[in-house]
Amino acid sequence: MKIKLPGLGLLEGLAVTGKNMVQSFYKKERMTTVQYPEERAPISPNFRNFPFLVYDKDPQAGLRCTACSICEKECPPQCIYIVLERDENGKSLKRPKVFDIDISVCMNCGICAEVCPFDSIYMDGEYEMSTDDRFGGLLLGLDRLSKSAEYHMKLRPEQASEVMARRKADEEKKAAAAAAKAAKAKADAEAKKAAEQEKGGEA
Amino acid sequence: MIPLLILAPLILLAAIGAVWMARPVHAALMLALTLALVAVLYLALGAEFIGLVQFAVYVGAVAVLIVFSLLITRRGDEAEEIERRPKSLITGLLCTVPVLAVLAYSAIFGSNIKLIPWEAKLTIAELGETLFSSHAPAVLALAVLLTAVMIGAALFAREPGKTPEDPAEK
Amino acid sequence: MKKTFLDRHRAGCPDHVARASCPPPNQNQAFILPLAAATAEPSLFSPEFLPRLPQRLVEMILTNFGVPDWLVTIAGFLVAAGTVVAVFLSAFALLSLIERKTLARAQNRIGPNRAGWFGILQPVADGIKMLTKEDIVPAKAEKFLHLLAPILIVVPAILALGVIPYGREWTPVPLELGLVFFFAVGSLTELSVFMAGWASGSKFPMLGAMRAISQMVSYELPLIISALGVIMVSGTLSLPHIVDLQGGFQLGFIPSWNIFTPWGLFAGLLFYICSIAEANRCPFDLPEGESEIVAGHMTEYSGFKYALFFMGEYLGLLAIAGLFVTLFLGGWQAPLPGLGFVPTWFWFFGKLALVIFSYLWIRATYPRVRIDQLMRFAWLCMIPMALLTLPAAGIWHFTGRGLLSWVVVLPLMLVPWVIVAVIFNRRLATTTRTYRFADT
Repeated sequence: MKIKLPGLGLLEGLAVTGKNMVQSFYKKERMTTVQYPEERAPISPNFRNFPFLVYDKDPQAGLRCTACSICEKECPPQCIYIVLERDENGKSLKRPKVFDIDISVCMNCGICAEVCPFDSIYMDGEYEMSTDDRFGGLLLGLDRLSKSAEYHMKLRPEQASEVMARRKADEEKKAAAAAAKAAKAKADAEAKKAAEQEKGGEA
Repeated sequence: MIPLLILAPLILLAAIGAVWMARPVHAALMLALTLALVAVLYLALGAEFIGLVQFAVYVGAVAVLIVFSLLITRRGDEAEEIERRPKSLITGLLCTVPVLAVLAYSAIFGSNIKLIPWEAKLTIAELGETLFSSHAPAVLALAVLLTAVMIGAALFAREPGKTPEDPAEK
Repeated sequence: MKKTFLDRHRAGCPDHVARASCPPPNQNQAFILPLAAATAEPSLFSPEFLPRLPQRLVEMILTNFGVPDWLVTIAGFLVAAGTVVAVFLSAFALLSLIERKTLARAQNRIGPNRAGWFGILQPVADGIKMLTKEDIVPAKAEKFLHLLAPILIVVPAILALGVIPYGREWTPVPLELGLVFFFAVGSLTELSVFMAGWASGSKFPMLGAMRAISQMVSYELPLIISALGVIMVSGTLSLPHIVDLQGGFQLGFIPSWNIFTPWGLFAGLLFYICSIAEANRCPFDLPEGESEIVAGHMTEYSGFKYALFFMGEYLGLLAIAGLFVTLFLGGWQAPLPGLGFVPTWFWFFGKLALVIFSYLWIRATYPRVRIDQLMRFAWLCMIPMALLTLPAAGIWHFTGRGLLSWVVVLPLMLVPWVIVAVIFNRRLATTTRTYRFADT
């Protein structure tokens, strides 16, 4: 039978804090402080902050965004501003001339990333965006928003690899369909040519 | 002589302030100041023990008791002004002036008053010995009285018919 | 051991048994033991002499220039006071940093380490912050009392620091009645806490002040009663003499400090707990706990006045820890024989550092005590136990202060303590709570 002497609980408490005091110097799992800004705590793959645009190889030509403005319409606080690029005839070039996101308005909901049909806008994980320029510093344009697909892969490997696999499968299907169509067209052309030759032979 | 000349007017001023001040807490603090100055007077007279004990007991306990009772019995922070009536001034003067006159007369013209020489001081060892050997009955009677007072106060403070319960016991 | 002037007067006493009945030295002296009486001084450049160096230097320089004697004495006292204030203000600054870092380590985190190497400039940063803050005085506050209160909290703490013996014959103001002086200025703190609370003119400070005063008054009683045992056994109220009487070693290596006596163990523990309560430290910091009452009586203070409150509290803590070291831990006496070459102020400040570290450790560990638990503890538990140490000290003295006294006195102290502890434990034991609505 353990005789609990009154007052010993006090000493047990002191032992707990004493153990903390001594072991926090050399045990890594006790000292969980991250010395910001020299070190940074790792962010989880589900962390989302502000949006960014994905480009495949070239920041201008490989930009996936076609300026369809779906994200602009779906954004709840209306923080996206898109201007479509048109050529001299007024035909749309399927590229944004101006793509501005005001991150002081953005509420990090991720709806723009959910509704984009072209896999071009995803949520970034960068949080060190503070600036001393109160009026323009928080308005991000195309140059600051475009980031490469490799960056996307590094940031969210699961999501990015799923997107890339889907895009590759789509492209292969499209290529296969195009090849099938081309083969069919070639077969049609050859059949037509054979039919014409037959017709010519007959006449 | 010089300490007395400097301190006595200050003590009188503080005492007058203690009864003249409009708000009760100010009056209590002026009372604490009076008692502290009296303690300084004792120290200047060379009665060190009594001076320090006066400080510890009067300023540290009695004044605290007075302000504490003021705090407890005041509702909110109403700035209570004590009204002064001219008639009470006359009554006060009628009461105090004869007493002061009698004191002054006996101090100046009294024949049984001996002034204690300035350098004769009671050391603390002698004080302790006298207190507990020749004046021991008085000290013991005081102790019994104080204990009775404390027990009486504790009994008064209890609500009748209830034993104090420990709230943590529930 | 160096011959102090107290030693010369004790020449007639054969052994330490008769020490208490030996007349304390030279009772017909003036109020303040004159500086000239401390004639057996260490040499000018020894490390022992270091605390007194500024004072002696100034006195020597002034006497060289033909300044009259009374002015030299006053200047010497001023320099001594200035030294004490300078040392303890820097100790306060260092303590605020060490407290934060120790509490942080106890909570598995690093304390402030950005302001300078290991955060050593953090107190400077805090000071600059406090100085540059806006001084807000509430509209309903009493202006004069609001200003006076922080000053009246710092002044008693600094006054109390002046009577503690920091080294052999280095007490800034060696008073014959040092202990009574200490407790007298300690009582002044209570009145200034009330002033701070009432002059702020709002509810939180008044409530905080009421609680603070009731706590300080309740815990002052066991504090003084446990010090009474020391006074009884030492036969004097002067702190340098009390430290002198704790010299020597028993059984060869156990120092004869007051805490190594059967009654002193318990009286020292009581004094320690009451000193935590007097200084308003956790676990007794209800008057100033942030989650309870914002900042209690200091709520309406900002800027440097708040820094003065902070300073007063920490200086009071240092003073009462110094008193604990003086009364029970043997002051500047060395812990082991043969360590006489180490300057005595080193032992004093080392013991003080250990005591302060224990305060920090306790702060990091224990939860806050509620006001009714606090009062109950003081009046029902501490005062009877403190009163019990008085006859225990007497019996210890009259049974010869040796092994027999230990055998007689230790059960006398231990049995009531265990009984009270068991009773309190049983009364306050937590039973499983049943909830009215949550269990359904």
